[in-house]
Amino acid sequence: MTKLDQFQSAFLAADKTALRYEKLAVQHALVVSDLDGDAAEALSTQVRSFLSVVDGDGTRWSRLDGGGFSSVKQLLDTVDALAPDLVVTYRHLHSTAWQWPHSLGEYLDVLTQATGIPVVVLPHPDAARALPHTLKHTERVMAITDHLSGDDRLVNHAIGFTEAGGSCWLTHVEPQSVFDHYLEVISKIPEIDTESARELIEKQLLKGPRDYIESCRRQIAEQRLPCEIGEIVTMGRRLGEYRRLITEHRVDLLVFNTLDDDQLAMHGLAYPLAVELRQIPLLML
Amino acid sequence: MTHASVSGAVTVGFAGLLVAMIVCLALEEKLHAKKSVIVGVFAVVCLLLGGLLDLLPFDEMVLEVGEEHIELPIYIPAIDWGVVAIILGSSLFVDITSKSGLFTWIAIVLTKASKGDPLRLLIFYGVMTVVFSAVLNNVTAMIIVGSLTAVSLGRLEISDKLLGFLLVEGLLTNVGGLLTLISSVPNIIVGNAAGISFVTFFVNAAPYVVVVTGITIWLGAKVFKIRSLDGDEARREAAQRVSGFDENDGIESRFKFTFGAVMLGAFIVTIAAASIPDTVLNSLGMGYVALSFAVIMLVQYKSIADRFYQAVDWDLLAFFAALFVVINVMEHVQVLALIGRGLAPILELGETVGPVTMLFSSALASSVTDNIPLAAMLAKILGNLNVAADSPYWWSVIFGANLGGNITPIGSASTLVAVTIIHKHGLELSFVGFVRAALPFAVLQLVLAAGYVLWVL
Repeated sequence: MTKLDQFQSAFLAADKTALRYEKLAVQHALVVSDLDGDAAEALSTQVRSFLSVVDGDGTRWSRLDGGGFSSVKQLLDTVDALAPDLVVTYRHLHSTAWQWPHSLGEYLDVLTQATGIPVVVLPHPDAARALPHTLKHTERVMAITDHLSGDDRLVNHAIGFTEAGGSCWLTHVEPQSVFDHYLEVISKIPEIDTESARELIEKQLLKGPRDYIESCRRQIAEQRLPCEIGEIVTMGRRLGEYRRLITEHRVDLLVFNTLDDDQLAMHGLAYPLAVELRQIPLLML
Repeated sequence: MTHASVSGAVTVGFAGLLVAMIVCLALEEKLHAKKSVIVGVFAVVCLLLGGLLDLLPFDEMVLEVGEEHIELPIYIPAIDWGVVAIILGSSLFVDITSKSGLFTWIAIVLTKASKGDPLRLLIFYGVMTVVFSAVLNNVTAMIIVGSLTAVSLGRLEISDKLLGFLLVEGLLTNVGGLLTLISSVPNIIVGNAAGISFVTFFVNAAPYVVVVTGITIWLGAKVFKIRSLDGDEARREAAQRVSGFDENDGIESRFKFTFGAVMLGAFIVTIAAASIPDTVLNSLGMGYVALSFAVIMLVQYKSIADRFYQAVDWDLLAFFAALFVVINVMEHVQVLALIGRGLAPILELGETVGPVTMLFSSALASSVTDNIPLAAMLAKILGNLNVAADSPYWWSVIFGANLGGNITPIGSASTLVAVTIIHKHGLELSFVGFVRAALPFAVLQLVLAAGYVLWVL
């Protein structure tokens, strides 16, 4: 390694990404369901109570009930026309496929990808899979990603949805299998010391998100926001690790990204999360 | 064997070898060969030819220690071990000190203090380049400041200014290299040969360095259109961007950091103190001081000391050793006397034209080849001609050898580093492009140096 590389690496490591805090303001929330009448009204009331943290003085709530759409196109057109900045719904609208935990249903599948609007996905009302503590508060919000540093949108949403006095957990799980794969390759390159590589790469991989979380804490303190930041930065097998963390921390709302700049389909990690984590509400960005 | 017995044809033949070596050094990149190997080959050939032709004084190479007579191979006393000790000691010391995170800390603190304003950044980086070049060495200074410049301009999204920043910094490394006796190798060689002390060197060179640094930065800002930011919003945005730099990131241990800072200060003071006549330090020499500080710093990293030995620039040290051997042979075969006779007309040009001619010819020569052989040869020749220590000719060689590196990208190792960083970031800069951009700066610096040598020193 040349001296030039050494110093460039030192300066790049010192150039830390810091959170640019932006207060979350929901102007218009839209509750979409396949229910009608009193059931739809009851759901809407429950949602407003659950998401009271974003229900400000200027927030307008509206409903798109089951009778209001019968095709994906109709749903998208209506959402487009109403232009909400938050959609609240659940999986398998107008379908009984919720009984089989293998998909999101055609409406939600397209909605999360065709619009950039954040979508809160509730446990299906008929499935009775929701954990007992869910849909009451947003005291424990957890943002999860495999690339936390610089994801201001994700963190600002997670902080914005955390109730006063609550905890916002920022979680970064570095995929162990990918790491192992690269190390296996490195172990076959004589010019690179495998043990040093393991130690240094792991340290640097986890340092970036930790530094970023530290900047989030500084922002929370500077803005005097009434919540605290929790930190989970680890190597692991992501889905299994997330399942464990959600149960362990009794998470009320899980926040993660679904859009991927490079593809039309959902972000690689998001789909299995959205399909499998059916017991708690999810905020899909 | 006396010098008088060397035939003219042999002298000319060896002079041809010297020219061939200088040409090979100038074509180092094309030959894909390290300096040490090039000069090493010439040293081996010169010694062999000198031996075969019976031109080397083998019989005189005996060290008398009490009653003991130790025979030395001729290439051992040929090497100026004092210079080698200074270079080895100070490069080890700087390497270990940089491990403490001190230099990156200073660089990042200055970046944050600039609040991301491009003009202020140019001034801070320019001054930092000069100081680092003076305290460390040109190449390390360029590497530190150049790599930070690339990262911070990228952060500020003004990478279009990178070329201007790196060129100004590259040019300033050679100005900073003039500040102290140990700032560059030509200074060490010529200063030692002339008997110029560390303090005298600093007092004489500092005013020029300060003025020319200011002028170079000013001109750089004009030529490359590096201006202050307009408007509060732009200033706020820039300040926010550089605030993400963490100056403490590279500091592994607060104790080692503080120790490194204290030792750096102590090193400069002690090196200066070594120039006080009739003191133990003066007798032991600057090489001893540099090596001692390197050893003290190594104690901090005793278990991984071998890593620092690996990082020593052995190519540079082997290059010096071989170069001194070549020059020694050239002295015995009368090549230096021949060049000295060639330089005599310059010395006879008088107090004004002579030093100016020496300065510009040294600059021109060092712009196309390594300034170290040039400095070593001229120092030897001026010494053999008994040029007085306070003669402006010594300073002409020092200023010319250092500033000549600013004329072309191959003129000095630090400008070569600047060009490497420029190319690494995908910017186009040809040899001619560099000369076109750098020439106004180099000419201005050389003209000011000529005036300074004539009327101030």
